[in-house]
Amino acid sequence: MANLNLKSKQERTYQAIVIGSGISGSWAAKELCDLGVKTLMIERGRDVVHGKDYPTTNMLPYEFEHRGQIPQKIQDENPVISRCYAFKEDAMHFFVKDTEHPYVQEKPFDWIRGYQVGGKSLLWARQVQRWSDFDFEGPARDGFAVDWPIRYKDIEKWYSHVEKFAGVSGFKDGIDTLPDGEFLPGYELNVVEKYFAEQLKKNYGGERHMISARCAHIHGNAEYYAPQGRTLCQNRQLCQRGCPFGGYFSSNSSTIPWALKTGNLTMRPDAVVHSIIYDEEKGKATGVRIVDRLTKETEEFYADVIFLNAAAINTNLVLLNSTSSRFPTGLGNDSGTLGKYVAFHNYRAGVSAQYEGASEYTTSGGRPTSGYFPRFRNVYKQETDFLRGYAAGFSASRGARSNSDGVGMELKNNLLNPDQYGLWSVGSHMMGETIPKESNYVALDQSLKDDWGIPQLKISVEYDDNDEKMIKDYIGQMSEMFTKAGFVNVKSYDDHRAPGLDIHEMGGVRMGKDPKTSMLNANHQLHSVSNVYVTDGASMTSTSTQNPSLTYMAFAARAAHHAVAESKK
Amino acid sequence: MNRRIALRHLALISGGLIMIPSCDFSKEDILAAYQNLNVTQSQKNLLAAVSDTIIPAGEIKGALDLEVADFILVMVNDCFTKENQSKFSTGLGAFPDYVKITAGKNFEALSTKEKEGIILSGAKLEGDDTEEGKKNAAISYFVNSAKRFTIQGYMASEYIQTEVIPYSLIPGEYNGAVLITDLQKPRING
Repeated sequence: MANLNLKSKQERTYQAIVIGSGISGSWAAKELCDLGVKTLMIERGRDVVHGKDYPTTNMLPYEFEHRGQIPQKIQDENPVISRCYAFKEDAMHFFVKDTEHPYVQEKPFDWIRGYQVGGKSLLWARQVQRWSDFDFEGPARDGFAVDWPIRYKDIEKWYSHVEKFAGVSGFKDGIDTLPDGEFLPGYELNVVEKYFAEQLKKNYGGERHMISARCAHIHGNAEYYAPQGRTLCQNRQLCQRGCPFGGYFSSNSSTIPWALKTGNLTMRPDAVVHSIIYDEEKGKATGVRIVDRLTKETEEFYADVIFLNAAAINTNLVLLNSTSSRFPTGLGNDSGTLGKYVAFHNYRAGVSAQYEGASEYTTSGGRPTSGYFPRFRNVYKQETDFLRGYAAGFSASRGARSNSDGVGMELKNNLLNPDQYGLWSVGSHMMGETIPKESNYVALDQSLKDDWGIPQLKISVEYDDNDEKMIKDYIGQMSEMFTKAGFVNVKSYDDHRAPGLDIHEMGGVRMGKDPKTSMLNANHQLHSVSNVYVTDGASMTSTSTQNPSLTYMAFAARAAHHAVAESKK
Repeated sequence: MNRRIALRHLALISGGLIMIPSCDFSKEDILAAYQNLNVTQSQKNLLAAVSDTIIPAGEIKGALDLEVADFILVMVNDCFTKENQSKFSTGLGAFPDYVKITAGKNFEALSTKEKEGIILSGAKLEGDDTEEGKKNAAISYFVNSAKRFTIQGYMASEYIQTEVIPYSLIPGEYNGAVLITDLQKPRING
C-alpha cells in the first residue's frame, strides 16, 4: 500500500477529528465547530450534499421502473439488505449492499449500513423518545451488565439542547417513564388510536399509555429552523429519499451544513478509517490513519482530540484494529470488554387486529409518525419471569379500496372510484430491551480482509431465553389489550428475524464506573486514553426500549462540550 | 441510458425485433428487451390484448393505450424468481391453446364478453400433479399475474396519475377523523 502523505503534517493537523458523519458524529462536529474548534470530519463513504444528492426525492411513482420493487437479481445477491423494510427502489442507493462490504456471521445477524455522508441519518425512522432513570437504573437494579455511570439528570439538559435544534414534535404526556421535552406541536392520533388510548387508561387503571410518538420533524416554529435552511415537514412520507425541505432531522440537512457555516469544519469523505494512532510516550491518541476509498492510498490526520462515531459496530472495528504494544487487543481495551456485551432491540413480534367501530370515519393527508407504547412491564418492580420489558409501536388505519374481482369496464370503474371501506386495521410491533452479555460479541476475523486491507468483522449475536419469554409476554399482553378494547380478528406473529434488522445494535464499548469492567467513563472518554471519545451506539451499557438516536445526539453534544472544557484546563 | 431503453430504441429502428442468432428459422424471434424471458412479438401482442380486456379503453384510455404489456413483461423479467418466470412463460405459451379448446377461436377473434369470460375462467383454473394440471396451474398463474400487473401498471401510470387521479407529492396535513360522507367525489366514468 502506498503511503502518500503528500501534504505537510501541519496541513493534516486539526484540533479535533470526528470519525463518522451520521447522527452522533455530525452532532459532535456541530458542537465542536460552534465552540470554535477546527474540526475534521472523516466519512468512509461518498459525499451526499443536502438538496443536491437526493436523486429520487421528487420522483413520481410511475417514474420508478419497478414501481418501487427491488429486482429479483439484486435481492438474490443481497439477502441481508433486502430484508430491510426501507430498502426499496427509491432509496436503494443509500444502503450498503451485502456484496459491497462482506462480513462474517458466526450467527445470523442482519447488519444494515449506510456508507455516505450523513450515514443512516438519511434513512432512520425519526422516532425520538427520551430515556428516564427507569432505563439508566436498569442494570444496577436488575443485576446485569454494569451500572451506568450517568443518570437522567446528567443528560436532561442535553436532550433539551438537541431536541430544540433538531426539531422534535410531540405532546407533553406527563408520563414518568418517558420524560417530556422541548416539543414542537405534536401530530394528533387518529380517531381509533385515541379510542384505544382511552380504553387502555380505563382497562389498566391509568398505568398503560399509548401516545403520539415524538418524532424529529419540524411541525411548527418554521422561523427558528430557517437559519438551518430547513422548513416545515410536508407530510410526504418519502423521508428515506432525503428531504428537500429538511423537514426531518438528518446530518445532511441540519448539523453538517450548520457546522460548515462556522468555517471550522473540514469534510473528508471517501476515507476508510484503518485505525486510531496511539503515541505510547504521550499516552494518548494523536491521530487517525485512513485508506482512501478510491485510490487505496493511506493518509494520516492528526488532532488533540478524537471522536469515534462510526456507528456501533464499526466503532468497535476501529478500536479493535487500533493495536499497539500498549494496547495489543485494541485501543483502550484494558478491561478486555471491547467488542463484548453487544445488544440490540428485539423487534420479532407484532399483533394486528380490526376494529368495527368509528365506521363513519377515515383519515386524510399524511403524517410522519404514529402511536407509541412506553414500556409498562417491570417498571416499578420486577413482576414477570423475564427481566426488563418492551415498548411498542401502534397505529390504526383505514383507506378506501376498490373491488378488483372482475375484469373489463366494471373493474376499470371500480379501480377509478375506490369506495370500499373495510374495517379499521390496527397493528403493533414490539421493541424489546435485550440484555447485554459477554457471549454476544463482535471481533476481527483472523484471515478475511476487506478491499482496503482492514480485517472483516465477525459478528456473533443471538437471542436468549429472556427474549423468548418477552416475545410471549408481548403477544399475550398486546392481544389482551386489543381484545379488551373490543378489537376483533386479533392475530399475532413472530417473524424470527435475525438480530440486527432492528438497526438498533448497541454496545461493545460500554460506559461504566470501573475501568476493569468497562471501556468508557461517564464523559464518554476511553478510561485509559482520555482524548478519545465514543458517543454512538457502541457506548451503550444497556439498551432499554426507546429508539436510541436521540440519546446518541445528547451524548455527542455533552461529550463535545466536555472535551472543549478539558482542553481549556 | 440503461440497457433496456437502448434495446427498445434499437427495436424501434429495426422494426420491433432484434435478431438473436439462431439456425432455427422456423421459430419466431425472441424479444431481447426481456432477456430472462423467451417472449415473442406475437406473445407480447397477445398479452397486450389480454391487458386490454382486463382494462379496456372507454371514456378514458385503457391498458393497451398505455402499453401496459411492456410493464408486465419488465416486472416478470426483473422482479420474478426464475421459477415464477418459467411458470408465467409456460402459462403464456399454453394460453392460446386453452382459449381455442375452451372457446373454439383465437383470443383475438372472440367478442369482448367471451374474452372477459375466458380470463375469468383462466384465473380460476386449478392445478394438480398431472401434466394437464401443471399446465392449468401455469395458465392460472399467468392470467392472475397479468391481471395484477395490468392493474398496477395502469393505476401507477403517468396518464392516470397526472390526468385522471393526480398524485400529490405533498398530501397535506393529517386529519385523523374525516367523515366518509364528506369525501364524496364526482364519479369517474371509465
